[in-house]
Amino acid sequence: MFRSSSRVLIVALAGLSSFLASCASLDSAAGSRLDLVKARGELLCGVSGKIPGFSFLSPDGRYTGLDVDICRAMAAAFVSDAEKVQYRPLTAPERFTALRSGEIDLLSRNTTHTLSRDAVGGNGLRFGPVVFHDGQGLMVNAASGVRSLADLSGKAICVGSGTTTEQNLNDAFASKGLPYTPIKYQDLNQVVGGYLQGRCAAMTSDRSQLAAARSGFSDPQAHQILYDRISKEPLAPAVVGGDQPMGDAMTWVINALIEAEERGITQANVDAVVKQAAADPSQTALRRFLGVDPGLGRKLGLADDFVVQVIRSTGNYGEIYNRHLGPDSAVAIPRGANRLAGEGGLMISPPFT
Amino acid sequence: MNRWLDRGITLLLLALLGWAGWSILHWLLVGADWSVVTTNLPLYAVGSFPADQRWRPLLWMAALITLTLLTLTGPKRGWVRRWLPLVWIAMAPLGLWLLAGGLGLLPVGTRSWGGLTLTLLLTGGSGALALPLGILLALGRRSELPVLRWSSAAYIELMRAVPLIAVLFFGQLLIPLFLPPGLEINRVLRAVVAFALFAAAYIAEDVRGGLQAIPPTQREAAAVLGLSPRQVLQLVVLPQALRVALPSLTNQAVGLLQNTSLMAILGLVELLGISRSLLANPAFIGRYLEVYLWLAAVYWLACSAMALLARHLEVQLDPARSAS
Repeated sequence: MFRSSSRVLIVALAGLSSFLASCASLDSAAGSRLDLVKARGELLCGVSGKIPGFSFLSPDGRYTGLDVDICRAMAAAFVSDAEKVQYRPLTAPERFTALRSGEIDLLSRNTTHTLSRDAVGGNGLRFGPVVFHDGQGLMVNAASGVRSLADLSGKAICVGSGTTTEQNLNDAFASKGLPYTPIKYQDLNQVVGGYLQGRCAAMTSDRSQLAAARSGFSDPQAHQILYDRISKEPLAPAVVGGDQPMGDAMTWVINALIEAEERGITQANVDAVVKQAAADPSQTALRRFLGVDPGLGRKLGLADDFVVQVIRSTGNYGEIYNRHLGPDSAVAIPRGANRLAGEGGLMISPPFT
Repeated sequence: MNRWLDRGITLLLLALLGWAGWSILHWLLVGADWSVVTTNLPLYAVGSFPADQRWRPLLWMAALITLTLLTLTGPKRGWVRRWLPLVWIAMAPLGLWLLAGGLGLLPVGTRSWGGLTLTLLLTGGSGALALPLGILLALGRRSELPVLRWSSAAYIELMRAVPLIAVLFFGQLLIPLFLPPGLEINRVLRAVVAFALFAAAYIAEDVRGGLQAIPPTQREAAAVLGLSPRQVLQLVVLPQALRVALPSLTNQAVGLLQNTSLMAILGLVELLGISRSLLANPAFIGRYLEVYLWLAAVYWLACSAMALLARHLEVQLDPARSAS
């Protein structure tokens, strides 16, 4: 009896799953996600909600941080209101599922741009420009005299086990032929605990996380993040691949943030600059950028003045960075590679023409 | 000689205890920075519910607390007592209406639900679904129809063999992949259903234990009195079986409340999830000890209230008491 009823169950399950699979393959070719967002009047944005400086809850119950400001900039460009965002806190394993199943329109969650996440054979995402160049680093006690990887030869290093962090550490020291003793912990908090108890000469993690951890120390100045960077973690927002209007709009909103910083257009002066550009027909590039001369925004399926909307609500890239990660913020991370290309960093926008 | 050794050990232990107690008290009062708790109290209670609508979940929780106090300490007889069960049942639709909105209130999506409200809603919702399902499964397992008996047993054994976290992962991560694009089953609903399906298997076994405690002579006596099989079950067997099963059912309820904290690693901002989001605020970095102690206190309070209510129900249902 059990045997036959279980067979019925299996047949039923097989039928159900093939039905569901056929539903899933009926990809709605109904148009871009961008049109859906505009029709809905609201952007569904996936964030982490648990990363200091990038996305966290402030006491008034609103999400705050660099990743969150990227969502707000998108909403300002897509539906002309930076407040029209619904945040969806996501864990690392569910972030790509949420994007593929359409639970969110856009992922702005500390996601490293890699080949396998980009390629059709992998996750098949479309990444925007990098909004934060992170990388694995090492933090040491400033009084210890350690200034580079070589100084750590033969010393103990605290690291989270089973992560790419551990692998990167191993690769970096092995390639230089330096010996070291890894002291492994389950998660970052334990790594911090071990480091503060003096079990190791250095601790390693992404530099943004090191800075965040350090800001919680009783004496942050006593600890130093080494200049050496042992991995590259370009963090970028992403949307579903194969949706060109949505991908292009995302890409150019971020480019607009960077271009605005290059041109010195800030939240405070953007209206004055628009007025000035409108009065001066010789400023052709500036007029195109700000939508005074129409054309660019329309090509993306956005309002012609989308750049103005964005800068008005979030400021340019430098302002966003300083608000959350700048020297006066609680999680101060030196801008380093995140400076503009003209100032020695990696941030650059292709031309708005 | 021995007496002096005993005294010495006692004094030493007392000194150690006193020192530990003093250090803990000192940390609680002086060392700890409770601002991470005090400034965020509304968030722990209602999550990122829109600020101008916060009164709705707060009202619901105030009603729950009042009702709990009234049940535990209110008058023992009279009209209040008679209406209490109905009011308790009405709390579920009331809570849903206050949270979700509609019918005159501004609609609020489940994305904005969070904090203790969401924890209680997950517990209450899944418990309310799991109890009837569990009773049906227990009856099915004792049924004389082989298909029913075997399928109930198979379901119970299968669910008990799978870890809860796997069921939750399936509900949160895999179900959306099967669904056609655009069709989205609400995340809170998926969580409630996953919890209910899981808890039902355990509740079924508790209820089966209760059913087995009823001597077969009672059934026979009831049948002789001319009751139909349905009436035997409804009037004689089930009420007694559920009373016997009540302590283990309380256990399940308390376990369910604590298991809802697993949703924090699946992205719901219930009590634990909201705390982890707050800990990421640069202003509160490193305040783990304060936050987790506070969480422990809140969970303890909620679980104790549930245990007290269940104990109260046991006393109410005690046949010796109603006979007197």
